This record gives sequence, C-alpha cells and structure tokens, in this order.
Amino acid sequence: MLTGVTILLVVIGAIVLIMIFAVIGIYNSMVSLRNKVNNSWHQIDVQLRKRYDLIPNLVETVKGYAKHERETLQNVINARKLGIDAKDVKDQAKAENMISGALKSLFAVSENYPNLKADQHFTKLMEQLNGIESNIAFARQFYNDMVMQFNTRIQTFPGNMFARIFNFTAKDYFEIEEATARGPVKVKF
Amino acid sequence: MYENIAQNKAKTVAIMIGFIAFITLVGLAIGYYIDWRYGVSNNYSILIMVIAFILAIIMSFSSYYYSDRIVLGLTKAMPLSRAENPRVYYMTEGLSIAAGIPMPKIYVVRDTGMNAFTTGRNPQKSILVFTQGILDNLNDEELKGVISHELSHIKNYDILLGTVIVVLVGMVSIISNIMFRSMIFGGGRRRSSKSSGGGILSLILLIVGILLILLSPIIATLIRLAVSRNREYLADSTGALISRYPAGLANALKKISVNSEVQTANSATAHLFIANPIGSKSKAIFKGLFNTHPPTEERIRRLENMSLGIGVK
Repeated sequence: MLTGVTILLVVIGAIVLIMIFAVIGIYNSMVSLRNKVNNSWHQIDVQLRKRYDLIPNLVETVKGYAKHERETLQNVINARKLGIDAKDVKDQAKAENMISGALKSLFAVSENYPNLKADQHFTKLMEQLNGIESNIAFARQFYNDMVMQFNTRIQTFPGNMFARIFNFTAKDYFEIEEATARGPVKVKF
Repeated sequence: MYENIAQNKAKTVAIMIGFIAFITLVGLAIGYYIDWRYGVSNNYSILIMVIAFILAIIMSFSSYYYSDRIVLGLTKAMPLSRAENPRVYYMTEGLSIAAGIPMPKIYVVRDTGMNAFTTGRNPQKSILVFTQGILDNLNDEELKGVISHELSHIKNYDILLGTVIVVLVGMVSIISNIMFRSMIFGGGRRRSSKSSGGGILSLILLIVGILLILLSPIIATLIRLAVSRNREYLADSTGALISRYPAGLANALKKISVNSEVQTANSATAHLFIANPIGSKSKAIFKGLFNTHPPTEERIRRLENMSLGIGVK
C-alpha cells in the first residue's frame, strides 16, 4: 500500500539521485577539460624540447663563423637555460619569448656573415627552427583555446559552485610578452 | 563539434544498415525473378536472399576497415615523402597541432588539377591527399587554408562517413546498373509464368525490386549530396578557426576553381574533394541539381565575411 509518506520518500529519493548524477556529470566534464588542457600543454612542451635540442647545435655552428658575437650567443644560451628550468606556465612563456627574441637577433647578426649564411648546416637549422617556431605558435593557439574552455567552465554557473569544492583553479594562458609583438611598431630611417 | 561527430557516426551506421537491407532485397528480387522465370519453387529466393544478406554484412564491415585503401587505389594516390615536400609537412604538422588531432599521413595524386581530400576511418588513421597541382600552385597562406579545411573534415569524422559512402553507395550504383541492364536486355523468354505459386506476391516483390533498382542511382546521388553540401560550409568555417585566417582559404578557392579537375576522380569519389573534381563540360541538364559541392562563389563570400576583409585578394 502506498501511503503519503512513501510517495514523499520516493520523490525525495529521485530528486537526490538526479542531483547526484548532475554533480557527477559536472565533475567529469571539468576533469576531462582539465586533461585536455594538460594534454595541449604537452603538445607545446614537445615543440619546446625540439627547440632546446637544436639550440646548442646552432650556437656551435654560428661560433665557427662569428667569434665576436659572444654576447648574442650568450643571450641565446641563457634564455634556453631559463626555458629548461621554468616551473610554471608564466615562467615558461616568459623564457620562450626570450628565446624567440634572442634567436631573432642571432639571425639578424648572421646577416653580417655571408660565409655563415652560405653554410648548408646553418640554413638547414634555420629552416628547422622556423618550422618549430610556427608549430609553437599553433600549439600555443590550441593550448589557449583549451584553457579558455576550461576557465569558462569553472567560472560560470553551475561550474563555479563545484570548482571551489573540488579544487579546480583557473589555468594561465600562454602569452606573448615580447614588447615588440605587443606595442606599436616603430620605424626608424 | 561533438554533436557533429556523433551524427556522423550514426549516419555511417544508418548507411551500413541501408546497404545491408538493399543488398538483401536485391537478393530476394533476383531469387523471385529466377523462380518466376524458370518456374521453380520458392526455395531459390530465400537461399539467394540469405547469401546476399551475409555478403552484405561482410561487405559493410570490410568497408569500415578497408575503404580508405579502396579510395586511395581508385584515385591513384601515392605516399608523399617528407624529403620531397618538406613545406607541406611543416604546415600539416603545425595545423594538426592547432586542430588538436594527430598528424595525418600525406599522399599525392600526380595530376595538374588543383584539389585535395581526406580519407580514413578516424583521426588516428587519417590520410590527407593533395594533387600535385595544388601543391605547386598555392602559396603558403592558401595551402594552409586548404589543409585546415581538410583537417576539420578529419576532426568532425566526415572522413568516416564520406569514405564508407564511396564504397557502399558506389557498390549500390554498380549493382543497380548491372541489374538494370540485364533487365532490359535479358528479359523475354519466360517459360511457365502460370505455374509459380503465390503469383501475386512474387509479382509485387518483383515490381518493388525493379522500382528499387531504378531509383537507387538517384537515391545514391541524393545521399552523396545530403552528406557533402553543408559539410563543406562547416569545414570551411572550422578550418578558418584552425588557421585563424579565413582569407587564405577564400583565395585558395578562387585559384582552385580555375582548374579543380582530377582525372582519376569519378562520381563515386567526387564528394570527398574540397572542390568539384569532375569536369564541368558533361551532363548539362541536372548539373545544378546534383552538384556535390556548394557553389564556390558562395563559399568564398562566406569566408570573406569571416575575414572582415583582412588579406582578401
């Protein structure tokens, strides 16, 4: 026999059950988004490692032709070390922007050494570094897209309620901080 | 995005089921035809139907696993090495990172027409095919636009549906063609039409069978159309999201539309390509109606709207 109490209990039970499933769904979607962010970070990392591996090679090659550019070379080496030692996304982004800048000035310097520019090994390294550079840009784009999705999920309702409980925190974007990339371009004649 | 993937998988299953039903019905029709023509008992129709059913199941499962190879064979695509064309490898590598999918294998069709397509059953097993013409004639930004368009087909699982359609719908077209011809030229001397039991039933089945066979080329075409037109617009816009440069693809489409003809393409594979690969000279009457691709001008217009005029030529 169904009394009013049992009906009430069943209804409450059903509501609780639905709520539990909803929370599970929200939690799982946040975890899967966080995994996507981590995976896309790994994509950047792969490209960065490739670049780290090429830099010593490049420095050696340039040394052979341009002994007087000690400072420029040292900048590249320092930036690489910073990149390898970086602990979080912000530091990594800063270091990578430094590497990109240092490499750019190295390439600019190499313009003064025709023999270096003619070196096959050097041109091949340049080509590879350019390829990696653009891959880093694409990987950064993908990573930032994922971070945006993840951050939006944990900052909007109802995600924000559970983000705090389950300890999800917003991720950092991988940003370009090079002054030249941000500010207006100055042209001097 | 994820809705599209689920939809494409569901449609692939639907096509497979439709294919199995069609082949089984054809088997039944052939059986009844034999019964009716030679005046034997109904056993043949059941037997042939069962054989057809089993064959159809085997065919649709193998089409899931092997149709990419069939497509590559049909279009005479060959693997392209990194050494031969490092440029396209760098670009594809970068853009597949941006799209968040594994790097596809790269193949080439030695044809001067400018075109490209993708095949495979999932992003892990995808193959990106270019013609020599498109590699030679497009600049970096344009080629990136084309690659992003193709990568979004991979990401959306359009490749699975498109590739399975090539084989299954293609097979239906071939079978109905054969049946149609044999009905026209092979009919005539029936021996004892009176003696076949349940005459009305077999007659109805025969008529249904004939209708099906007559209609199936049209149905096949409609299926190809239904899957390809909107998908091209969608891939255009997803592609623009990957490359972040809609004008690249818009300019590429302008160049491609001059000569997108591919010698090895045919009506079974046409819907896979980024632009219509079949020469525009033939089959005038129903051309507009049965186009597998949306008008290029419209695609370019939509892309240029997206680009806000940046980089448009």
